[in-house]
Amino acid sequence: MFSVKSVSAMFGAMLPLALSLAPAQAAATVYPLKIDNCGVELIFEKAPERAVTLGQNSAEILLLLGVEDSMVGTAFWPSKVLPELAEANAKVKRLSQEIPTLESILAERPDFVAAQLAHLMGPESKVAKREDFANLGINSYVSPTLCTANHDTGDVHGARTELWSMNDLYLEIDQLSQIFDVADRGQALIADFKAREAALRARVSDETADLSYAFWFSSPSPEADAYLGGKNGSSGFIADLLGGHNVIQTEVEWPTVSWEGIMAANPDVIVVGEVALTRGWELDKAENKIAFLKADPAISQLEAVKQGRIVKMDAQAMNPTIRTLYGAEQIAAQLEELGLFK
Amino acid sequence: MTTLKRHFGEQAGLGLFLLLSTVLLLVAVAAGTGIGEMSIPLDTTFFAVTNKFGWTGIELDPIHQSVIWDYRLSRALVAACCGAGLALCGAILQSLLRNALAEPYVLGVSAGASTGAVSIMILGFGSGAITLSAGAFVGAFASFIFVALLSDGARAGAGKTILAGVAASQLFNALTSYIVSTSGNAQQARDVMFWLLGSFGGVRWPEFQLALAVVVVGFLVCMYFAKALDAFAFGDDAAASLGIPVNAVRVILFAVTALLTATIVSMVGSIGFVGLVVPHAARFIVGPSHMRLLPTCLVSGAIFMVVADIVSRTILPQQVLPIGVVTALVGVPFFSVILYRSQRAK
Repeated sequence: MFSVKSVSAMFGAMLPLALSLAPAQAAATVYPLKIDNCGVELIFEKAPERAVTLGQNSAEILLLLGVEDSMVGTAFWPSKVLPELAEANAKVKRLSQEIPTLESILAERPDFVAAQLAHLMGPESKVAKREDFANLGINSYVSPTLCTANHDTGDVHGARTELWSMNDLYLEIDQLSQIFDVADRGQALIADFKAREAALRARVSDETADLSYAFWFSSPSPEADAYLGGKNGSSGFIADLLGGHNVIQTEVEWPTVSWEGIMAANPDVIVVGEVALTRGWELDKAENKIAFLKADPAISQLEAVKQGRIVKMDAQAMNPTIRTLYGAEQIAAQLEELGLFK
Repeated sequence: MTTLKRHFGEQAGLGLFLLLSTVLLLVAVAAGTGIGEMSIPLDTTFFAVTNKFGWTGIELDPIHQSVIWDYRLSRALVAACCGAGLALCGAILQSLLRNALAEPYVLGVSAGASTGAVSIMILGFGSGAITLSAGAFVGAFASFIFVALLSDGARAGAGKTILAGVAASQLFNALTSYIVSTSGNAQQARDVMFWLLGSFGGVRWPEFQLALAVVVVGFLVCMYFAKALDAFAFGDDAAASLGIPVNAVRVILFAVTALLTATIVSMVGSIGFVGLVVPHAARFIVGPSHMRLLPTCLVSGAIFMVVADIVSRTILPQQVLPIGVVTALVGVPFFSVILYRSQRAK
């Protein structure tokens, strides 16, 4: 999938995770701990011992915090787990790759449930509502990204008027690390992410070309219009981090764009997403996207395609998650090889 | 004398049939409460229910107690109400429109509900203050009003009303597609599909209260017009000649079915097949008289839906099949048998 060099560059960037950093001094959690989560006050008498996560991002944050021994179930994985978390993740039962049922969650007798997406837990969810858990004395936590969005149904829905940033995720990491009494690790993780964000920004200078990016998530078929990442979503954040901009200037988070529209926009770089869903869309695979770009008589005439400025990225990075940062690093490594980024 | 006896015998037969069906419905609801992914002992299940009624006070695992009472029992009862309501709507619409293919969504209600739900989910109308269900309900009723206007308050005749329903469905489906394709993404399209395909996953006790109230009121209104509905079978003119205010009855009954369907769709999504097939099956069993047909539809629709929901929850481990898939998969073989036997009987 990726060249050996780009993979090693990617892992090189990931290695200084948590432990190798100077130990951050954060106080041990004093229980009972009060947390305000999207307007709901949660009280923890002790660190959760049987946590269930709904949504890949919530699971990966807890795994990065190293609390896999306190996790009893995960669900909803649109993408593969981060390679360095695979071993820890294997210890935790996967309730469902897709949308789980409330009974399967309760059967694990959780004492804590954390959710990433509104359709997995929320007032409109067909899986669970926060009251379902509250009634049983189980604390539930929803990602702060959900309550800062335009409206209740969450930030993957609707438009964004401001550029997304990692700040909500830092709040989430901070709160979860307090809940699990691993504040040290939480602060180290945030410091690591911030350092990596800063490292990418530091590489941008006046000389860095202001490249325009098209982020191609997927298409239902080669004939169909493409789903692209919008201006203010995590795709826009990645472009901004690398000193460039999203060629798509609509505020809709996930615009559908015709190939004629993409050709008219004429991006400098095309980012092709690697989607791991098992829905059978041929163009979910990055390789198939590249083959399509090169084979189509019109699209192959795009400057970006002719010059080979096509880079691959895990499509989960285009969802506002911790993987967004990993995606930016993945692109930076490939741009470096192309001589477009220092 | 003989007609009286036959009449009496028929009534007794129907009474017995309905009694047996009601017992069967109770068994189905009990099964729905007892069966699930989590294996809960039968006595625990029993006591979880009796505890809540205040008959027993046995200490139970709170998770078991909650799964049985808040999740499974409320869900089975909502399923029963929805099945009953959809079957009732199907029977009414088939009679009013004199069309064997009429079903609860024939007036475009389902398509309207989708548009309403999508407007809330994707466009964010109401900024979270309006729930998806409320949006779906408004959309469903908008479609019904559109049909009523197009068909001149259903005075234009059965054929025109069905055409107006088709037009409404096309219009609202197009609006839904427009919204999804201009502002949605692949994941959202999936979420919308999941929401629309029908699932009892999100229902709890408040939904049951609403569903029960609407179904009971709808049923009583329909029963009040049962004799009039019999007359409709012979055509509007025949009904009018019997002194039935044809237009008024039709508008009232259309409004009742629209209200019932809109409530059900906004609560659990659109569930196909039940409203189409249960009335036909009921007619094979008790004949076309609406005094007999409507209660039979009510009970058999309820049983069918409760069973379909049990299947949808248990057929795949830790995952729920859309209920519409199950109603068709369970329903078609069942209906084939009835159709085949009725042909042989002739």
